[in-house]
This record gives sequence, C-alpha cells and structure tokens, in this order.
Amino acid sequence: MMASSQPREWTGLQQFPVATQNALHALLEKLRKEDVNSLTVLVLGKGGVGKSSTVNSLVGERVAAVSAFQSETIRTVMCSRVRAGFTLNIIDTPGLVEGLFVNDHALDTIRRSLLNKTIDVMIYVDRLDGYRVDNLDRQVVRAIARSFGPQIWKIAVLGLTHAQLSPPDGISYSDFVERRSNALIEMIQKEVVFKKGDPQIPIALIENSGRCSTNSGGEKVLPDGSVWLPKLVEHIVDIATGSAEPIVIDKKLIDGPNPNKRGRVFVPLIFLFQYLFIMKPMVYLMKRDMESEVRRRPSWEVLAGQKEESPSAVEPVQTEEY
Amino acid sequence: MVISSGSTEDNVNDDGNTQDVKQEVSSLHVDTNVDDVIEKNDVTDRQGMEIPDGDDEEKDSVAQGKNSSITGDALIEDGVPADSLDAKKFAEDESIVDSNNDDISEENLIKDDLANGPASKVIEGEKSSGSDVDDVSNLKADSSPSEAKESKDIGDSGSVDAAAVQQESGIHDGQKELVDKGEQNATADLSPGKVVDDSSDESNVEGTRLDDETKKECTRLDDSVQAEVSGEKVPIDVNASAQLDLNESDNAPPILKTTEELSPENELKDVQNTSEELDGVEEKEELPASAVKSDDPASTAEILENDSVQTQVAGATTVSEDSTAGDEFSAAQAREMNDTEENSHLTTRAEVFGSKDTLNGSVKVEEPVTAISTSMPSIEEGVANEEAGSESKKEQESEDLPAPTGARTETASSDASSSLGGAGPSLPVRPAGLGRSVPSLDHATRAIPRSSGSSASARQPTTIDEENSSNTDVSEGNDDAREKLQMIRVKFLRLAHRLGQSAHNVVVAQVLYRLGLAEQLRGGRGTGRAGTFSFERASSLAEEQEAAGIDDLEFGCTIMVLGKSGVGKSATINSLFDEIKSGTNAYSPATTKVQEIVGTVHGIRLRVIDTPGLLTSFADQRRNERIMASVKRFIKKSPPDIVLYFDRLDMQSRDYGDLPLLRTITDTFGSAVWFNAIVVLTHASSAPPDGANGAPVSYEMFVAQRSHVVQQTIRQAAGDMRLMNPVSLVENHTACRRNRSGERVLPNGQVWKPQLLLLCFASKILAEANSLLKLQDSTPARPFGVRSRVPPLPFLLSSLLQSRAQLKLPDEQIGSEDDDTEDESDEDADSETEEYDDLPPFRRLTKAELKLLDKEQRKAYAEELEYREKLFMKKQLKDDRARKKEMKRRLASLPKDVAEYPEESFEEENASASVPVPMPDMALPPSFDSDNPTYRYRYLDAANQWLVRPVLETHGWDHDSGYDGLNVEKMFVVSKKIPVSISGQVTKDKKEANLQMECAASFKNGEGRVTQAGLDVQTIGKDLAYTLRSETRFDNFRRNKTTCGLAVTLLGDTIAAGMKLEDRLLIGKRVKLVFNGGALTGRGDVAYGGSLEATLKDEDYPLGPFLSTFGLSVMDWHGDLAIGGNLQVQFKVGRTMTVVRGNLNNRRAGQVSVRFSSSEQLQMALIGLIPLLRTFINNKILNSN
Repeated sequence: MMASSQPREWTGLQQFPVATQNALHALLEKLRKEDVNSLTVLVLGKGGVGKSSTVNSLVGERVAAVSAFQSETIRTVMCSRVRAGFTLNIIDTPGLVEGLFVNDHALDTIRRSLLNKTIDVMIYVDRLDGYRVDNLDRQVVRAIARSFGPQIWKIAVLGLTHAQLSPPDGISYSDFVERRSNALIEMIQKEVVFKKGDPQIPIALIENSGRCSTNSGGEKVLPDGSVWLPKLVEHIVDIATGSAEPIVIDKKLIDGPNPNKRGRVFVPLIFLFQYLFIMKPMVYLMKRDMESEVRRRPSWEVLAGQKEESPSAVEPVQTEEY
Repeated sequence: MVISSGSTEDNVNDDGNTQDVKQEVSSLHVDTNVDDVIEKNDVTDRQGMEIPDGDDEEKDSVAQGKNSSITGDALIEDGVPADSLDAKKFAEDESIVDSNNDDISEENLIKDDLANGPASKVIEGEKSSGSDVDDVSNLKADSSPSEAKESKDIGDSGSVDAAAVQQESGIHDGQKELVDKGEQNATADLSPGKVVDDSSDESNVEGTRLDDETKKECTRLDDSVQAEVSGEKVPIDVNASAQLDLNESDNAPPILKTTEELSPENELKDVQNTSEELDGVEEKEELPASAVKSDDPASTAEILENDSVQTQVAGATTVSEDSTAGDEFSAAQAREMNDTEENSHLTTRAEVFGSKDTLNGSVKVEEPVTAISTSMPSIEEGVANEEAGSESKKEQESEDLPAPTGARTETASSDASSSLGGAGPSLPVRPAGLGRSVPSLDHATRAIPRSSGSSASARQPTTIDEENSSNTDVSEGNDDAREKLQMIRVKFLRLAHRLGQSAHNVVVAQVLYRLGLAEQLRGGRGTGRAGTFSFERASSLAEEQEAAGIDDLEFGCTIMVLGKSGVGKSATINSLFDEIKSGTNAYSPATTKVQEIVGTVHGIRLRVIDTPGLLTSFADQRRNERIMASVKRFIKKSPPDIVLYFDRLDMQSRDYGDLPLLRTITDTFGSAVWFNAIVVLTHASSAPPDGANGAPVSYEMFVAQRSHVVQQTIRQAAGDMRLMNPVSLVENHTACRRNRSGERVLPNGQVWKPQLLLLCFASKILAEANSLLKLQDSTPARPFGVRSRVPPLPFLLSSLLQSRAQLKLPDEQIGSEDDDTEDESDEDADSETEEYDDLPPFRRLTKAELKLLDKEQRKAYAEELEYREKLFMKKQLKDDRARKKEMKRRLASLPKDVAEYPEESFEEENASASVPVPMPDMALPPSFDSDNPTYRYRYLDAANQWLVRPVLETHGWDHDSGYDGLNVEKMFVVSKKIPVSISGQVTKDKKEANLQMECAASFKNGEGRVTQAGLDVQTIGKDLAYTLRSETRFDNFRRNKTTCGLAVTLLGDTIAAGMKLEDRLLIGKRVKLVFNGGALTGRGDVAYGGSLEATLKDEDYPLGPFLSTFGLSVMDWHGDLAIGGNLQVQFKVGRTMTVVRGNLNNRRAGQVSVRFSSSEQLQMALIGLIPLLRTFINNKILNSN
C-alpha cells in the first residue's frame, strides 16, 4: 500500500546551511536525551497547499514529486532517514479535498496505509496567504479527527505555507500571521473540542519556494527575519517530547469498534427478562382468554363444536367444496 | 460568361482528378452534399443510399399533416448532408459548403432550430471538438473551394456539368452574385489583417476546377492527387497560400449563420443581419479571447495541449496544399468569374465565421510571425510569376481577382499588405494580455490602416463597378448607420486614448477590425461607397475631440464581478477606482450583499456590481445559490455589459475543483453568462511556483497554465467547448510595483488596469455597434443577448398550409366527420335501400357447428357471412346519414330559443358520467421494469371536460417507461355558437422539454362561411414559437370550398407572417381535388409553397376499399425549388388489402413502400417470409460476388 523505503542515511541534513544544521543537531540531541530515537511525522492538509514541498524542505531532499499545477501525490508516501541512530519518518499524503467535498475515501486510504504505525506528530498544512476560513476547512479538520481520533489534534503542528508574503491592505506581517493562524486555530479548537488545559496548537510558518529570501548564512528566512525550518523542527520535537500520547494506528482504529462485542454480557439477562416478564404473562393471558371464551359460548355452539370434533361432522364440509 | 480555352482544358484535366477524388470519397464513406452528388451524374446512384432512415423521422417531427411532403423534402435535402456530417467530421464545413445553396444551409439551421435532428447535435459536437485545428483548416479549405466550385459551375454553365449544378443549387444569376460580391469586398476590406482576399481567391480558383466533392475532399487528398492536380506552381506559392489560409481561418469569427440567406433580393439584408448578429456574438467571445489567447507562444501551445498541436500542423499543411492546387487551377477564367469569386469570398467569410472561437484561438497559435513575413514575399513572387509566364499569368490574375489586369500588381501588393495586416490583429504570438507588445505593434500599425483602408478601398471600387452594371438594387440610407458606426469608432478610440492605449493595442485593433467588418457587411449592400473606411478619419477625430477636452463621451459600462470569496473582487474594484469603494477584509468575507458601485475612471462612467463571494464547501452550496439568486434579482433591471469571473492566480484549484461553483453560476444565469465573461486572475504579481526541475516556471507559463485551467473549467460549466474567455491579470496589492505614472505594473511589464478596462469597454462597444446595426435585436436590453436567427420558414409555411378540420358545435359533431363526402352521398343513398333487410333471416353458426361442416360448405358460409357484413355496414352508414340529416332539419326548424338543446345535452352527458372510470392501461414497450403497472400510469376518464392523457413515447430508452408527457384537451362552447378547443401537450425528457399548444375557435358568420382563429404555441429548438392564425372557409359552391388563411408567427425575436389560399373541389363522386398555396415572409425572406392533392375513391368508398391519392407539393425558398410528389394506392386483392405508397422529390430521392394486410394465415405467413427471403438472396448475391 505504502511506498515505504528502507531507512537511508539522512544526507539531506548536510545540505542545509551550517546554522540550520547546528540548530537541528541541537534538537536531535534534545531528543536523544529524552531517549527518543525515532520520530514519525504525518503531513495532512488540503490539496495544493504544499504538503509535499514541506516534506521536501524538511528532509532537505526531493523525496516527493511536486508539480506546480496538478496533484502529484496520489498515494501515501513515507520516507525514512537515519542520522546517528535517530530515525525520522515523514509521511506525505494526498490532498484531502476533492471538488467541494472532503475526500473520505482518501482519508481512509491514508489511514489503512499507516496500519501499525505510530504517529508522533501531525503537521496540518494550510496556506498562510489564504484569506478565508470556510466550511470546507472545518470539514477537513473534523474529518481528520474522525479518522484518527480527536487525539491527533493534540499532537498537531499547524504549518502555514507560502509564508513569504506581504499582507494586503497594509497590515503588518506579524498581525497578519497572528490573525490568520488564530482564525485557523480557533476553528480547529471549535471543531475538535479542546479542554481548557490543553496546550495550544503550535504554529510553524513554512516557505518552500526556491526563491525564498535567505540570510547571510544561507538560511531561508521569513519576511520577519526568522529562520523557519529549525522552528518547525523545534515544534515537532516539542510535541514528540511533550505529554501528548502518540497515536497508534491499529486495526481497531481503522475498523472502529466491533459492534457485535458491545454489551454481550447482557444478552442472557435480557433473554431472562423477556421470558419472565413478557412470555410468561402473555401465555397466561392467552390461556385465560381461551377459557373465558369457552365459558361464554352459547350452548348450541358448544354442541356444534363437539360435533365438529367428530370426523363425521367434518366430512360434509369438505365435499361441499368440490 | 466566357470561358477561355485554357480554362476548359483545365476543366477536363480537373475532371480526371475529380474522378480520383471521388473514388477517394467513396472509400472514405463520406457522404457529401446531396446536390452536389446529384449534379454529378455518376454519383447519382449513391443518392439512393443517402436517404437515411433518420430522414423519415425528421420529416415526421417537422412536418405534420398533409403538407408534410414540403417540409419533408426540404429536410431530406438537408438531412442527408447533415447525417453525412457525422461521417465527415466537419459539421460547419457542410453547412458552409451548402451556403451557396443558401436554403440548404438554412435547412441545417432549421434543423438546428428544431433541435430534433441528430444531425444538429452532431454539428454541435463537432463544433465543440472543433478546437482541433485540423478541423479548422479542413473546414476552411473545404468550404471555400466547394463554394468556388459551385460558382464556377455557374460561370461556365453549359460546359461539362454546370447546368445540373445550376439547377440544383438554384443559384440565380448575376444579381445575387453581385450581392455576394459586394459583401465579399466588404469582408476583404475589413479584415485589417485579413487575407481573405488571397486565400479565398485561391480557393476560388481552385474551386473553379475542382468539383464539389473534390474540393471537399481536398483536404483529405494525398499529395499524389494534388501533385496531379497542380503542377506548375512554384513551391513558394504553396507556402504563401498555406499561411494565408491560416491567417484567414484565424480571423474567422464564429458566424455560423452568415451562410444562410442569400435569396436573390433579400439576401443582402439578411446577410448583413446575420453577420452582424454573429458578429456580436463572436465579438463578445472571440475578440477578447484572442487577446488572451495570444499570451505567448508557449502558453498558447499549452492551451492547445488538448487540441493536438500536431494535427493542427498537419491540417495547416494540407490546407496549403489545397490552396496551392487551387492556384494551379486558377486559370484565365478568373476574370469572368469575378462574381463567382465573390461568391466564394462570401462563403469563406461565412465559413470563417462558422469556425468557432476555439478554433480561432488554436489556429492563431499556429500561425507564426514568420508566416506573415513569408506571405508577403511569396505573394510578390506570385505577381512576378504572373507577369512572367503566360499561364501563370492567367492564374495569378484570377487569383488576384477582379481588378483589371493593369492594376494587377497593385492588387497583389495590396493583398500582401492585407495579409500582413491580417497577421497584425490576430497575431497570436504576442502576449495580448501581457504587454510585450512592442514588436508586434509594427505589424499592427501597418496592417490596420492599409488593409482596412487602402487595400480595401482600392479594390472595392473596381469590383463594384463591374458588378454594378447588373446590380440595380442599390440600397441607400446606410449613411445614417455608417455615421453612427463612425461615431462609435471614434468613441472607442477616445476610450482607448483615455486609457492610454494606442490604436495598435491588440484589443483596440480587434475592435476596430470588427467594427469595420460590420460596416463593410452593411456597406457591401452595393452603395459603392463602402470604400470610405475611415480609420484615419476616426482616429484624427478622436484625437481632436480628446485634445479639445470635450467631455461628451456618452459611454458607461456596467461590470459585474463574480468569484470565490477572498479572491479580491472588492479589492479589484477599489483598485479600478483608485479609492476604497468597497470594504475588504483579509480574514473574513467583507461583501455580504450585492452592491452597486458607481464612479468614474479616466472620465468614463463605470458601474460595478460587487457580489458576495462564493463559498467553496459543498455545505455552502445552498448559500451560494441564494447569493446568486440575489445577484440575479439585482441585475434584473440593469443587466451588466460584462461579467468578470475572479480567481487567484497563485492558488490553483485542482481537478476542476471549482466546477460545482461555476455550475451554480451557470444554473442561475444560464450559460450565456459566460459568453460575455472575462476571467480575472488576481494576485498576478505572485511568484510562479517551482517547476518539475526545481527551478521556478516562467511567469508566462504560470499564467498560461492557470488561465487554461480556469477557462477549461468555465467551458465545462457552460457546457460549451468553444468558449474562450479572455483572461486579464490583476494585482491589487499596495506594494505592487508601479510605473512612473503610478499605475500598477505586473511582473511582465503590463499595466493591468487599462487593459482590463479596455477589454470591458471593447465588449460594450461591440455590443453597441451590434445593436446599432442590427435593427431588430436589442442586445443591450437583454441580460445576455440571445442570438436571433432566421425563422425556419419552410417549416412554418408547411404548418400554415396544413388544412385543419373545422371546429364544430357538439351537436354538429355527432355525425359529420367528413362533411365533404356527406353532401353528395346523400342523394345516392336510396338506390339499394333495404337490401339488407330483404335478406332472409340468418343465424350465425357456433364453433361446434362450424366444425361439422365440410370444406365447401364452410367456404359458402364464409362468403355469405362476408356479403351480409358488407350489406350491414352499408345499411349502418345509410342510417347514420339519415339520422344526421334528420338532426339538421330539426335544428333548422327549431325556434332559436330552443336551440339551447345542444348545451344541455352536453351537460347531461357530463352528469351521467360523473364517476371517474379508470381507462385501460396502455401497452408499454418492453422494459426491465415491473410488469405490474398498477401503481402508475393509470388515468381516469372523468366527466371533467378536460381530457388529460399521458403521452407514450415508444422510442425511448431502455428501462424507460416512455411516459414523458401529458396531453390535455378541452372542448367547450362559448356563447352557444362558438366552439373552442384547447389542446396542449408537454413532453419532457432528460434532455429537452417540448411544449405544443393549440387553441382554436371557430365562428360561423353567415351561411357557408366559417372563420376559425387560433393561437398555437410550440417549441422550436430552444425557442417558443407563437403562431396566431386565422382562416375563413367559404362554401361558395356545392362542390367547392375555398379557404383563406393568415398566420403570424413570433419566434424568438423574429416575426414571420404568411397567408394561404386553399381550394377543395369535388369532381363527380369519386374525385376530390385539394390545392393550396401560400407564402410566408420573415426577416425579409420569403418562402412560397403549394400543394395539390387528388383523391380517387371507390364507387362506394367506405365499403369498397379502393382509394388512390396523388399529392404534389412545391416549396420555393430563395430560388431553391423543392418538389415532392407522392402517390398512394390502396386496393384489395382477394382478402389481402394492399397499400402501395411511393414518394419522390426533385432531388431524386424517393421511397416506395408496399404494405399487405390480410386475415388469412397462409398469406400472412408468406408475406412474413418475404423480407427473410430477400435478405437471404441478397446475402447470396453478395457472397457470390
């Protein structure tokens, strides 16, 4: 189902600018301290928002095919990279929206292809430069919660792609980012009921374009000057080391609970109840009825009834039919 | 007409070729135009096969009643080509080919209108698939040659097969040709870059030589054939012609209709009308489209992606070959054939029009700049050739047309220039929407003034002079319109000026070209002053006015914006006005209701309708629908001139994700909304995404891709694959790069605002010009103008000619079904009276008794029984008559107040049957549905005066019950003496809804005079036709009844009026004659028709079964005569009833059917064997062969 490749050496890590490499190594070190030596990241989102590009950026290699104009990812792809005993698995998925609908079938396929995998972090990708949060977004969020359980949003990072933009109407960049991400997070929290104490969903800005501006160290920076890749990884690491339980995708999650097993203990009790309180009274009532019937019959009918019972009385009726 | 010897030779030569071609044709199984076929004697036999079964159906659907044969003929005639279209693959081509026989094409149209014929659908289909350049070129090449050919035939009528053609095609004479010519000129002039002259000439020439079929197949021909055909031409010429052709086809605006009307007198007007209309349409779609299209070569190629660029190329080459061939053939004849050429010109035009926008677009891509450059030298070379060689000289001359030999060179050069020009405006290579227009402007500059001005005017006078000798019907009074048109032109130039666009801007050039076209089509009416095209004048006038600062520009434009939420509709409006007119919000929908924003931009009044954005979730579809409905309400009063559909350039919706949204728009406004729509892509300065190789794709590529996606989605949503909406880019960001004058500039250097406005204005201006020139149509008044078309006159005429049964009062109705027979049969009634009663009593034998008889006895018994039956029937008839007479007498003798009786009885009847009774179930066609129909299709026969029945369609789909319709009837009497009947039928299936309604009332005014008036409503194509008719019948003699009738039909926006005269005459007891004749006129076109029906009856008809009917019908429609005859004989041989039916029309298409019906088993079995045997024998023969 899933094209998973044998874990390979994470060569892409060396392609990053030195500063980025250092930051990433620091983060990996942190993971190692927590005794985490493998991390699985699931990337979800609508079509065309830049999931595959994000995967490519994270790994530092072109692991997922990307096209500017059409959907290239038609099935779930996992790529694994090993670096000094640490394994990073990133799972790229096809877009979740088809036409005006959430593609439940696609979601189901994704879920099935992830059987027996443990998801440590989910990145939900959307565009920063979209101006609206609409019902479709809500449906996508809800559908994800439905397929993977609402818990998955506890391990979610909100990735906003196309982060290199200049906001319209003279709004400042930070304002825009805040408003946009807040709108999305509010929507998510509303759709997937969050408790008060739950941690906020972290936000990571992403810019995958090759023409993203860079700082002196060659790192890709956002319009506000921050370097985005280490931040994204930092959020991922935080979640992985945080309190939220990773999601294990097992048969049960995929198939859902077996309805046949629910409340099986009660079956004999219910039968007993039915026997005692329904069958018994009914039989009793019927018997009583029959008796009273016989009692109320006029005498001639009783006589006739007796006759009928005798074979001679039955015969003439039959012949008549001929 | 003089035919030079050289030309005849060529003819012969050509004939040889034709043979080849023909073979090719047959091998390709291409059915060509019937006329042509007929005209070619050797092919005549094919004709028989060419009457497809479908024709009958079509006939049925079109014509009802007696006169059906008229329409039927016409239909057959067109039906065949139409059917063959299917095979031929070029629908338009066909119609164009026909266009010389205008009526035929007309017929096609009619059929379109009726929309019943499969052929019309085919046409549609073809068109939609027409983006195939192959088709285009084929089409082009095909049609013009064929046209030319036909004209050629006319030219040398007398030689070879010309005479036949003439008859067939019904092309008249110089007059018509003149007209055509005028138009042609016009066309030629107009096209700023139009090479129509050249290419059409060529094709003409070619046409002269080749037969229709040949021509049609030309495109198909292999090189070999061409080589054969051609010979001496210089290769360069080939190139040139090819390119020219391409150009021409580029310019081809989508006017399918132009082809239609060429009836001798009225054709001028018609052509104008139609072309104008069409123009309108095409203007809307195509003009801006081209601008968009030409984004850049890559993009265009991209667009063509689906359309198989390769085929395109192939097509182009073939075309070139063809035209070369044409060149070759162009013999000295050319001069004589001026008219002919003109004809073909016209056709070319028409056909050019016919080809759809998509085609245009795609073709455009194909013609590279080099084409232009090459075309010039090549033509010049051609000229040189011509001067050099005598033969080639002739050719060239012919090619170069009507111009006198002296002026030859000049003409040629002008042609060349025009060809250059042609490249200019339609120039695809240049990104229309994206600036970069500098290089191409060169062409444009030269093209516009020269082609439209000088070359046109230079040429026009000469041709027209020649023509004028016979052209007596010169219409004056165009000056007014011309003046107005000029004003429009000036207005547009001023608009462009205000927007800072030169006249060389692609859009501007296109608009001017179109305006010129319109004018020339109008001017082509033969005034001879058409040459005064006035680009310079207009432009100088415009500049003057602008310089003078006169602010009298009466121009306002209403723009409606549609699109998803958050794409920047309101922001764009703000950018247009350069101030915050409509609130925007980066986070949530800002526009919550439809609002109108009015302001001025560059001193131009602008009214923008801002609409709430559409939401992208299915859950919001209802809301979207509500939004659209509110928009629709809003624009009801003042519909927008143009619609902008917004999307973001940088946010691709994939896999037609927006299709449902667009469908919502289509559902609300109708697909017409897209005909006038411009795609606006906002965020145009966003950086292109990374391509497959990791490097960012080019901006042009990016734009082209996105445009293509949106356009394609729109096509899907509109259900019209020919649509090519122009695309305009927009960037509203405050940080957008600006030029020195503060205008926003896109990454490709384009200043988007003027470009967008110009596109809008162009659309509006063209609509204005349209409404000016097209008198009947009020495009601006309609939300989205409906194309008006020529009414299907033959169809209407035949329905007018139909004789209708008189309505009767209920009491009269009782006996007199056929009052013709009634009268005379009265007298003879008594001769053999009482015969039946005199017979000895007779007892029918039971089955058991019958079994006991032997053979002889049984036979005798059967005969006796038969005899008695006959007598009994006779007696019944007689009784009937007697009763009727009695009733009449009684009624007449009754005093007036007692005459209420009928109505009372009517009511009584009702009362008695007050309990509804279920009617018997209808027999359903076999289907997989349940056999038990108890739960449906039941209807009651109630006492209600309304009679309601379901309509069973037996030819439906499998699994389909076939109950698609409802039939309602009612008869009642108004004020006791006016019977009124109302009947209506509505059928609706998955594809179309049909309504047919008739109301009729008749009134007796005096003895022997009955007037009947009625209103019919019926669906013709997509329109409803309302017919008001009335007729009066005079019983002037005992045996003669005359009926006069009038009818007025309103179909769409056209009105057709007609009258008829009918006479029924009884000769003796056995012969009945019915003649009728009528004329119908609409849109300046007249159709005449008539029919004769003679019936010979048996002595005592209802008993003696012999009956023969002979019918003849004639329909004349601008010169084309359709004659059809039919004969039916019915007689009895022994116990077998035989009906022989035959019909034949002047296309030599006919049908014979023989029907036997018998009650004897043996005979029945034998008859049943016949078809089996026939098949068997046929197979045998085939096998043995």
